Amino acid sequence: MSIVDWVVLAITLLAIVSYGVYRSRGIRNIDGYLLGNRSLSWYHIGFSVMATQASAITFLSAPGLAYSSGMSFVQFYFGLPLAMIVLSITFVPIFHRLKVFTAYEFLEKRFDVRTRVFTAFLFLIQRGVSTGITIYAPAIILSSILQINVTYTTLFIGSLVVIYTAYGGTKAVSYTQLLQMSIIFGGLLAAGYMVVHLLPQGIGFKEALHIAGKSGKTNAIDFTLDLNNQYTVWTGIIGGFFLQLSYFGTDQSQVGRYLTGSSIRESRIGLLMNGLLKVPMQFSILLIGILVFSFYQYNTPPIFFNKLELNKIENSSYQPEVEVLREKHIAVFENKKADIDRLTEALAADDEQQIDELRLRLQDADHQAKEIRADLVSLMKENDSKADTNDNNYIFLSFVTESFPKGLIGLLIAIVFMASMGATASAINSLASTTSIDIYKRFISKKGSEKSDLSASRIFTLVWGVFCMIIALYANRLGNLLEAVNILGSLFYGTILGIFVVAFYVRRAGGRAVLWAAIVTEITVVTIWQLDLMAFLWLNLVGCAGVVFFSLLFQQLFGDKAKPIK
Amino acid sequence: MKTDKGLPPFIRTWKRFYWLVIIWLVVLILLFYWFTNHFG
Repeated sequence: MSIVDWVVLAITLLAIVSYGVYRSRGIRNIDGYLLGNRSLSWYHIGFSVMATQASAITFLSAPGLAYSSGMSFVQFYFGLPLAMIVLSITFVPIFHRLKVFTAYEFLEKRFDVRTRVFTAFLFLIQRGVSTGITIYAPAIILSSILQINVTYTTLFIGSLVVIYTAYGGTKAVSYTQLLQMSIIFGGLLAAGYMVVHLLPQGIGFKEALHIAGKSGKTNAIDFTLDLNNQYTVWTGIIGGFFLQLSYFGTDQSQVGRYLTGSSIRESRIGLLMNGLLKVPMQFSILLIGILVFSFYQYNTPPIFFNKLELNKIENSSYQPEVEVLREKHIAVFENKKADIDRLTEALAADDEQQIDELRLRLQDADHQAKEIRADLVSLMKENDSKADTNDNNYIFLSFVTESFPKGLIGLLIAIVFMASMGATASAINSLASTTSIDIYKRFISKKGSEKSDLSASRIFTLVWGVFCMIIALYANRLGNLLEAVNILGSLFYGTILGIFVVAFYVRRAGGRAVLWAAIVTEITVVTIWQLDLMAFLWLNLVGCAGVVFFSLLFQQLFGDKAKPIK
Repeated sequence: MKTDKGLPPFIRTWKRFYWLVIIWLVVLILLFYWFTNHFG
């Protein structure tokens, strides 16, 4: 990175942190610290909700996923707008009227304290681990650029977020997120423009999409009914709906965002704004990934995008074998490039026969490239059994640092940092909220002073920050980080959502029935995942349906009287 | 905190706002379907 990039990066990060700290000064109690005195407007909530979900992983993994597997991942978000509607109708009014601090507080009012604590505990495990991953994602960027150990970069990023979150609480989080999302949208537009601009002369946006499409990358929609296919319209709408409903309705990192709204109206509009913008935003990010793919059809891509791992194998005794593979990689690319040029001409002439023939040739070339890559990965594993052999998360970053002009590199890297900071700050804030409200104030300090409660919340923020950093140090063995986070979420969210669905809609179910139903269902979900019986998105549906079913069954057996909500 | 029954801007009823979100999703899926077939 050049000096200009470092300056852009430093100024952007400093400005964001200073702004957050400035806007959150004068907090005197936990209502201000955890919920911003419930005073924020819909656009604050909308951007805050989006920034919380769009972690750095979104900007690193999604383009990499599109580059290697195409656009099908966009379907994952189809259930989100529907989930926003259900939330606006059901969850938002109830949470607001009960004036709860956390979603789990509501469960004690509806069931009992055991259900509240059990659900809060599931959340703390899931969110604590996921947040570790969201810290690790940008840490690999600095590690790759500065060529220093990822441990130091992880600690640096984690500490930065923990400091401003511990100081400013929810207000610092929301105000920084508003600014962050504005810069992120601007940066994405600039990145999209630059990718097209860097294509060879005569190749525009449309041609680049045709080239990517002929290699199977524009597969945004798949209507097939296949339970084992991770991304189809049906897994997205049905499985995705349950995942998103659970995430936004029961995960405190999101509930805490819209509880800051000054009224039900503000919270609703903020959520519906997310429902309108999220799918197009995700599509745009994936689109950048396939444009990068098209770019690398005209320019030789690196044999492996993770430079640290590549350097490691090149400096080992396997160097001669790597050199042979590199020569093969270049030869395959040169042949492929000739076919790409012919395909460009065939597309211009609309020669269907030629296009079909070249499509097959390109598939063959891709197959050869994959074999060369597999050989390289085998060498890496032989050289170091702990080598990180998944370079998906490095593709976009590698492209940016090698192709973008000075200044824009710094801005793009700042965007990745900001995305991570926004998501991590919300998560740490929510972990602290849940620990403070559902455990500390419920069992330890029932009548604590405002000052001592505020101090305890700040300490919990620090403790969770350290925990997440420790998890981040172990996150590099999880392959594609975006999928890792979503799989982890799917293991717990279905059960948590099921508890809330029973709370809202199954009025005759009591606390004992729902608690046992949740325990049995969670064991079932983990077993199904271990046995790999279905695509992970379906686990959300299984978890939710399982809790409802077992609650009804156990209620019949136990026959306890349910506690109505007033 | 106000627990008002405020209405959304422009559209004036929540029901219409929810339909707008659903119709927008359908339009996006149709556009993506066209995108998949046209470039694929």
